[in-house]
Amino acid sequence: MNTIIRIPTPLRALTSGADEVTVAGATVGDAIDELDRKHPGIRERLLDDKGIRRFVNVYVGDEDVRFLDGLRTALKAGDEISIIPAIAGG
Amino acid sequence: MRRADAKVLVVGLGGLGCPVAWTMALSGVGVLGLCDDDDVQLTNLHRQILYGAGDVGVSKIEAASRALRAMAPSVELRPHATRLVPEGAVELVSGYDIVIEGTDNFATKFLTADACALARVPVVHGSAVRWVGTALAVGMRGRPCYRCIFEDLPTGGSLGCAEAGVMGPMVGVVAAAQADLALGLVDGRDVAGQLVTFDGRTGDLRRRTVAARAGCPLCGSQTIHNIDAARYSSPTGAY
Repeated sequence: MNTIIRIPTPLRALTSGADEVTVAGATVGDAIDELDRKHPGIRERLLDDKGIRRFVNVYVGDEDVRFLDGLRTALKAGDEISIIPAIAGG
Repeated sequence: MRRADAKVLVVGLGGLGCPVAWTMALSGVGVLGLCDDDDVQLTNLHRQILYGAGDVGVSKIEAASRALRAMAPSVELRPHATRLVPEGAVELVSGYDIVIEGTDNFATKFLTADACALARVPVVHGSAVRWVGTALAVGMRGRPCYRCIFEDLPTGGSLGCAEAGVMGPMVGVVAAAQADLALGLVDGRDVAGQLVTFDGRTGDLRRRTVAARAGCPLCGSQTIHNIDAARYSSPTGAY
């Protein structure tokens, strides 16, 4: 099952500029692992040893996975993952 | 509340603060507070729309006040020629009904979030870097809040406009979202908890309502019950 991960601007240097990447995975964690296999280094920008970094938010559709099942959140066909990092600029 | 009775504080008179202040002034709020300690620089002009070439070197407070007074003479302007700092932050925001924050650093963002929560003042946060922007409305109840989403200052790094740059049109879009959320709070619309994200590359603008985090130290467990300056000095690097 394929899922689209939308890549925010600050991380596109790691995806050769791609604003979305299609990955396979049954859970959000699987999808991030697959993303890292395609674009090494991106996982550590999203996760630390406790899970999703505290200044990063991962959404499946409009739902923050922190309020679902975290990295174990199951994906279904058509789901889209969005990554929203904390940014400071204006 | 009636717009004419509303007292609104804009923290940061940069790319976001300029169009936000412009919109709020022309939307009929009664009092508009302005908080910044910077001077206008030439590199500001492409996105900081209250300033012109003749303002370079002038304080942003002075230049912004002049521009706003000319376009909206009925608004009472309250200049605060200072950066928002831990000392006196709660007292400053307590003088207003709503705060709109568009600063360029995490320390001030978290300080504003904490001060507004402690003072029970609604706040609208905004950020824009390169082609990505976010705006978040925190309502009177203070929950969900900025810390529900971004928890704490990044220790491994962040990306700010000073390092990464910001596209001029981006701040206009994000500032418009901030102004809309702020006017929603003034007008009594149910916008609390709304997070607006905008991707300037794709044009994708999304508005979602976020949930409060059970363990949030600000609005959940409320372990943050005062302003401790040490809390706002975490180093930042590159996200």
